[in-house]
Amino acid sequence: MVPFLKTYASGLKDSASFGLDTYSDNNDVQVYSPTFELMKTVSKNWLVGVKLRVDAIAAASIRFGYSPKVGNSINAQATASKKSTFQDMRYAPTFFVTYDDGENAATVGGYYSTELDYVGKALFASYTKQLNQGNTVLGIGLSQSADKWSPNNGRVLPRDNRDERKVDLSVNQLISTTLSLQFVYSYMNSQGFLSSPYINNITENYPSTRTGHAFAVKGLKFIDDDNSMNFSYRYYTDDWGIKSHTFGTEWLHDVNNNLMIGLRGRYYTQTAANFTKPIASYTATDTYKASEYRMSAFNSYDIGIPITYKPSEYSPYKFSFSVDYYRTSDNAFIENWFGNKHIQAVYTTFRVDYDF
Amino acid sequence: MKVTFSIQLLFLSLIFLFNGCSDKLTRVMPYEKEHFADVKMSLSPLAERAEHEGHIFLIREASAGGDSAYQGGCGCR
Repeated sequence: MVPFLKTYASGLKDSASFGLDTYSDNNDVQVYSPTFELMKTVSKNWLVGVKLRVDAIAAASIRFGYSPKVGNSINAQATASKKSTFQDMRYAPTFFVTYDDGENAATVGGYYSTELDYVGKALFASYTKQLNQGNTVLGIGLSQSADKWSPNNGRVLPRDNRDERKVDLSVNQLISTTLSLQFVYSYMNSQGFLSSPYINNITENYPSTRTGHAFAVKGLKFIDDDNSMNFSYRYYTDDWGIKSHTFGTEWLHDVNNNLMIGLRGRYYTQTAANFTKPIASYTATDTYKASEYRMSAFNSYDIGIPITYKPSEYSPYKFSFSVDYYRTSDNAFIENWFGNKHIQAVYTTFRVDYDF
Repeated sequence: MKVTFSIQLLFLSLIFLFNGCSDKLTRVMPYEKEHFADVKMSLSPLAERAEHEGHIFLIREASAGGDSAYQGGCGCR
């Protein structure tokens, strides 16, 4: 992820980081993701950066392309890739160049990812401008992707592209010496094959275009020298009829000058797409069909603990670690697809930053 | 085209609003901004977590956006 919009502490610096992310859920999906990032200033105002992410994935998709369970027929769990070996590797490098003169900042970059059955390509750009002695920051971010499916189950898709366009507009405003707010509007447009090629084309058919809008507000509150809180809310709506609300809050606490810990929570709720019905009720006359749970109504929550450690104030090293528990509500679509009533997952991140 | 125009209009409105009206908000002087340099006052206090969770939520849920950041697509969703 390349942040489009910096906040108020700016300044280009040389740095390198190495990280390792993990994900594991109750459906035997496991992902291990080493990451590497290098940022190098080439002058006072210019910086070049490269990021590399590798995802080693077990049971990422329905391996043989069977349909989800209907009645007593074969179910998805039985046909999913097993976790004994990594079924797919995803390599995702990102390159970018940043200009920052303290008042204006701009970034342009490119992204390329490749995996067994999917190639992602994208260009992105952003610009932020500080106003009113840095009390206000306006930002705009643009991205355009041109991705391509090549399913390994031999399925011939009606179209093999997925093109996505995103526009972010933001305003950061200092409200007081201890409170700042950020407002973000995102416009998203997708075109192409927007379902999964591993879901049977008889039971799954989505529109080939989708337009979504997200409105978010985030707040940062400095409580005292050792404590701060942040909170966020996002409303999302799209022309498939999906609406969602996302609430998040986090408390961060300095145990001492070297160690910071925290506790955060997130709650998410969404409505179903307007073409989603109970799975057994689809008929041949339905133009669009969805048996995948993401097109159904469900809730989820997330509880996490972040930790950062810096050996000393002037140490070039910083270590960060987080662990989160994620769980969805019980859902008939999830049960149909995975065999479990809900998804529960644990994911972790670990990262070492080095400033040089 | 109509949507693009609306976005441009919204952005220009925001620029106008905050370029003019923000003068009337409480102004935090540069020497009063020390708290905002604190790691605890970052929108993404753990950059690695922000990237990883952004990817997970994008795969596990049907919503996106509102994060003012770019993340590339994959075949997981």
